[in-house]
Amino acid sequence: MTATAPDVRALPGAAGARDLLDAALEVYADVPEVTARLRPLRERLDEPLRVAVVGRVKAGKSTLLNALVGQRIAPTDAGECTRVVTLYRHGAVPRVVLQAHDGARRSLPVRRVDGGLQLDLGGAAPEDVACLIVDWPSAALLPATLVDTPGLSSLSTETSARTDDFLGVDDGGPGADAVVFLTRQPQAEDLAFLRAFQESSGAAGTQVTTVTVLSRADEIGAGRLDALESAAAVARRLSADPAVREVSSAVLPVSGLLALAGRTLRTGDFVALRSLASAEPATVAAMLLTADRFTRPEVAVPVSREVRLSLVERLGVFGVRLAVTLVRAGLPDAGALADELVRRSGLAELQRMLTVRFTERGGVLRTAAALRAVEEALERAPGTEGAGQLRSEVERIRLETAELAELELLARSGPDGPFPPVLRDEAERLLGDRGTGPAARLGLPGTTGGDALAAAAHEHLTRWQQAAADPLADRAAADAAEVVVRSCEALLADLEAGPEG
Amino acid sequence: MATSTELIDRALALAQACDRPDLQRRLGLVRERVAAPTVRVLVVGEPKQGKSSLVNALVGAPVCAVADDVATVVPVVVRGGAEPRAELLRTVPVPAGSGADAGPVERIPVPVHTVAARVGHGAEGHEQLLRAEVELPRRLLAGGLEIVDTPGVGGVGAAQSLVTMDLLPTADAVVVVSDASQEVTAPEMAFLQRAAALCPNVVCVLTKTDVHPEWRTVLELDRGHLARRDVDAAVLPVSSTLAALALTSRDPELHAESGLGVLVEHLQREVVDRAGVLAARSLRHDLTSVAEQLRLAVRSELSALEDPAGRDELLRGLEEARQAVEDLRKRSSRWQQVLSDGVTDLMADIDYDLRDRTRVVTREAEEAIDAQDPGPAWTRIAEWLDERVGAAVADSFVWAEQRSQWLAEQVVEQFARDGGAALPELSVGSGAEAMDMVVEVATIDDGAMSLRERTLVGLRGSYTGVLMTGLVTSLVGMAIINPLSLAAGVLMGRRAYKDDQAQRITRRRGEAKTVVRRHLDEVVFQVGKQLKDRLRLVQRTLRDLISDTVDEMSQSLADAVRAAQQTAKEATGERDARARLLRQRLLELDRLATDVGRSIAEPVAAS
Repeated sequence: MTATAPDVRALPGAAGARDLLDAALEVYADVPEVTARLRPLRERLDEPLRVAVVGRVKAGKSTLLNALVGQRIAPTDAGECTRVVTLYRHGAVPRVVLQAHDGARRSLPVRRVDGGLQLDLGGAAPEDVACLIVDWPSAALLPATLVDTPGLSSLSTETSARTDDFLGVDDGGPGADAVVFLTRQPQAEDLAFLRAFQESSGAAGTQVTTVTVLSRADEIGAGRLDALESAAAVARRLSADPAVREVSSAVLPVSGLLALAGRTLRTGDFVALRSLASAEPATVAAMLLTADRFTRPEVAVPVSREVRLSLVERLGVFGVRLAVTLVRAGLPDAGALADELVRRSGLAELQRMLTVRFTERGGVLRTAAALRAVEEALERAPGTEGAGQLRSEVERIRLETAELAELELLARSGPDGPFPPVLRDEAERLLGDRGTGPAARLGLPGTTGGDALAAAAHEHLTRWQQAAADPLADRAAADAAEVVVRSCEALLADLEAGPEG
Repeated sequence: MATSTELIDRALALAQACDRPDLQRRLGLVRERVAAPTVRVLVVGEPKQGKSSLVNALVGAPVCAVADDVATVVPVVVRGGAEPRAELLRTVPVPAGSGADAGPVERIPVPVHTVAARVGHGAEGHEQLLRAEVELPRRLLAGGLEIVDTPGVGGVGAAQSLVTMDLLPTADAVVVVSDASQEVTAPEMAFLQRAAALCPNVVCVLTKTDVHPEWRTVLELDRGHLARRDVDAAVLPVSSTLAALALTSRDPELHAESGLGVLVEHLQREVVDRAGVLAARSLRHDLTSVAEQLRLAVRSELSALEDPAGRDELLRGLEEARQAVEDLRKRSSRWQQVLSDGVTDLMADIDYDLRDRTRVVTREAEEAIDAQDPGPAWTRIAEWLDERVGAAVADSFVWAEQRSQWLAEQVVEQFARDGGAALPELSVGSGAEAMDMVVEVATIDDGAMSLRERTLVGLRGSYTGVLMTGLVTSLVGMAIINPLSLAAGVLMGRRAYKDDQAQRITRRRGEAKTVVRRHLDEVVFQVGKQLKDRLRLVQRTLRDLISDTVDEMSQSLADAVRAAQQTAKEATGERDARARLLRQRLLELDRLATDVGRSIAEPVAAS
C-alpha cells in the first residue's frame, strides 16, 4: 500500500466504537452469547483492518497476496495449496503461530525455501487448525493485515468450508473486515458467496466491503501479447453487469504473477531476458510457443536451462513473452523493466482501490460493524440494565458520523435504488464511492486547485438542494438527496478549513 | 469382399423375389442407417476453458466463436458433408398476443466463415437462435462423427446445464474440457460423475497446455481425482493453439506436441470405431434374421416338394409354431406383461423419486425461510432454490435413464426367451442389440430433440414466471402492509408496532413458503411429465420393435404354410422347375448368410 506508515491504532472515526463496545461488554457481561459476538470485534478494533483474499481454487489468491506484499511469503504450487486460513500481519520479527479451534496457540518454526515461507502445520491436522498467524516485517502489511484463504469450490469440501467458517458466511461475525474476491469468470455461486459475506459483515457496509479482481488476467486469450488490454475490456463489461454491481463495487483486471515478478525482478533475470531479446527473433518466438519448448535442455540461445526454468516459473509464458518484447523495445535496465511489468499488471489500481475503499474508511467500516453488533445485542436482550443508555449512545454515534449515512446509502444505491438513473453515478461519486478526497468526490483531477474545487462543490450543493426539495420526488429519493447535500456541505467545510483537504 | 450396401441390396432383391414387403421395409431402414451413421460427441465444460477452440482445432476451421469474454451462446453442431455448408436454426418470432409459446423453427443458410460471428455473444438477433449446424468435408467427420460445441454460459452448474443433461443420453461420447491452470473443481467433478452415468464414453481434455508450465502435475492430479471417484474417463492433454498453428505452418512436430493427434485417435478408436462395431453388429443381426425369415418359407416349400409324404407332418409343425407366435402377439404374453408392469412401476417410482428429492429441498428452503426474514433475502433464496432444484432434477434424470435402460433389457430378454421357445429356428437377437436400436431411434430423431429442448426452455420460462409472481406477491404484500402498519405504529405505540412487525415477518414467511411449495409442485409436474414422456418413448419403441419382429415371424410362418400347401396342386413338370428355383434361392440365401458372417465380422464395416 502507501509508503507512509500510519498509526494503526488510530483508525479514524473508530474512537466512538471503542467506547461503545466497552460499554456494551460491561452491560452484557452476564450474557455469554452476546459477549462472544462483541469481544472479537472489540479486540480487532485495536488491530489494523483485515482484508481477506478469497476465490475459487487456483484463482491465484496466494500469488496476488505475495504481489501486494512484494515478497514471496505465501506458499504457491501447481496443485491446490492453501489448506488453512493464514493471516499475514506486520511484525518486527518473522514468526508463525498456529491457533487451534480450542483456542490453544503454539509457535511454529519459520522455514524459508527459495525466499518463500514454508508453512508446515507441525503435525496438526488441517481441520483442527483455526488459523495460522504469520508476523512478517514488511511495510506493505502496516495499513492492513492480509488473509489468505483456502479455495472455494474445492474438491475437498472441508477445505472450502474452512473459508466459509472464517468469513462467517454461515453464522456469527466475520473474521475479516473486507474481501478482495478473485475470479476468472464470475459465476452464480461466486456472486452468492459475496452476497453472503456482505450480509454477515453488516448491512451497512454492503458492497463497499468487496472488490472483485479478474485474476490471472495474463492468461486470457491463452497468453497473447494483448491479453491485459483484453482483460480490461472484460472487466469493464463485468463492472456494468447489474448482478455483479449488486455485490461488488468494482471489477479490476490484475495479473498477480506479473506483478509479483515485477516486484521481485533480479538483475540476473534481466541479463537472461536481454540475451533472449538480442537473439534471432524467429528462434525465440519458436521457443516461446509453449512452456515445454522454452524449457527444453538444448536451445539455440545462451541461457542455461535452470535460468529458463526459473524465468517461466516466476513470469509465466506470457510474462516472458512480454518481458522479451519490452526489452527488445529498449528498456534499459532491471528497474525500468520491473516498473513496466508492475504498471501493466494492474496492481497499482488494485492498491489504490484498497486504500480508497478499505484502509481510508477503516474506522467507519469498523464502526458500522460495531453499531450493528450492539443493535443486535439490544434486540436480543432489550431489558438488560443500561440498555437504554447504550441505545441512545448508538443513536448519537449514528447522527455524529456522517460517513455512516454515506456508506448506508451507497450500499442501497443500485439499479433499483433511490437515485434516478441519470444522477446515480454523480451521487455515488459525491458519496465517496471513487475515493473520499475532495477531488475524487467531485470527479476532478487530483491537481485541481482549492478555488476550483470549492466552486464545483458549490455547484453540486445547489443542484442537490434542489433535488432534495423537489416536490415531485418520492420520500426515499428526497431523503437520499438530503444525504448527498450533507456530503457536499461537509466537503465545503473541509475545503474552507484547510487547503490540503 | 462385399460391402454392407451390396449385402443389403442382395437381401433386398431376395426379399422382393419372395414377395415380403415387410422385410423390404426393414431393409430400407437399415440401408438409410448405414448410409448416414451418426456418432454424436458433446463438448462441454465451464466457461473460458477452451471448448470452442478445441472444436475449431478438431475440425481445422474457425466455425465456433472464440473470444476472451464469454463467446458461444448457442450449440454449434459440426458434421461431415461433401461441401462446406452452414445453417442457423432459429424460431420465427411469434406476434404478440397470438397465444403460441414459440413459433416454428426456420433454417437460414449462411456462409461457413460467418458462423462464428453469428453465434457469438452480442450477435444480432441471437436471442431467437436455437443452434447452428455446419457441414465440412473432413476425414475425421467422414465416419459419421458429429461434434456439438455447447455454450459455456452458466458453467456446468446444474440449473443451466439441463439442456446438456437432456442431450447426454443421446450422445455417444462426452468431452469434458478443463484447462491446465488448475485441477478439476467440485462442480466439474459432479458433472463428470453424472456424465459417466448417462453416457458410455467420457473423455476429459486438459486444454491450454502451451501456456501452463505445470500441466503435467495438474494432469496427474486430475487422473488421481477421477480414479479415486471411480470415474472411467481418460484425461488427455491438448493445446488447441499449437494444433491450429501446426495446421497453418504444416509442421508435424508441432502437431505431435499439441496432443490433438492423440485425442483424434482416441475419439476414432474409442468412439467412432466402437459405434462402428455396434452398428456392424446390429447390421449383421438384421441381415441374418432377414435371411433366416426368408429361408423358412423357401425350405418348407422345398421339403414339401421333395417329400410329399411328410407334408402333413410339416404342416402340423408349422401350424403349431404359428400358434405360438400368435400367442406372443396377444396382450397377455409374458414380454407384454414385463413391459407394462415395468412401465407402471417406473412411472410410480419416478413420481416418488422426484417428490422425495423435492421434499428435501422444500424442507431445507423452509428452514432457510424460518431462519431469516424472507423479504430482503428472497432473491438469494430463489437463486439457491434454482440451484438445488437443478441438481435434484439432474439426479432424477440419471436415475430414470438408468432404470428405463434396465427395463428395456428385461423386456427384450423375456421376449428372447418366449420367442426362442416358440421358434427355435429364428434368432431374436440379444437385449443389448435391441437397446442399441432404441438408442439409435432417439439419436436420429432431430425433431424430438428440438422439441425436448423447447420443453426445457419452457420449463425454465415457467420457472422464472413462478419466481416472478412469488417476488411480486411478496412485494405487493409488503406494499399493502407497510402504510397500514406505519399508521398502526403511530396509533399503538412502539410495543404494538413491534408486535405488528413480528406478525408481518410471520406472514411473509408463510407467503414465501407457499411460493416455494407451489413452485416445487410445478417443477415436479413439469419434470415428471418430461421424464414420463421419455419413458413412453422407450416403451413405444420397444413395443414397436418387438411387434415388428413378431409380425415378421408370423408372416414368414404364414408364407411357409401357404407354400407347403400349394405344392400339392402343382403339376410334376412345374414342380421340378419350382424345386430348382427354390434350391437356387436357398443357395443364394445361404451364400448371403455366409457373406454377412464373413464381411461384417471386421470392426470397421466397409460402407
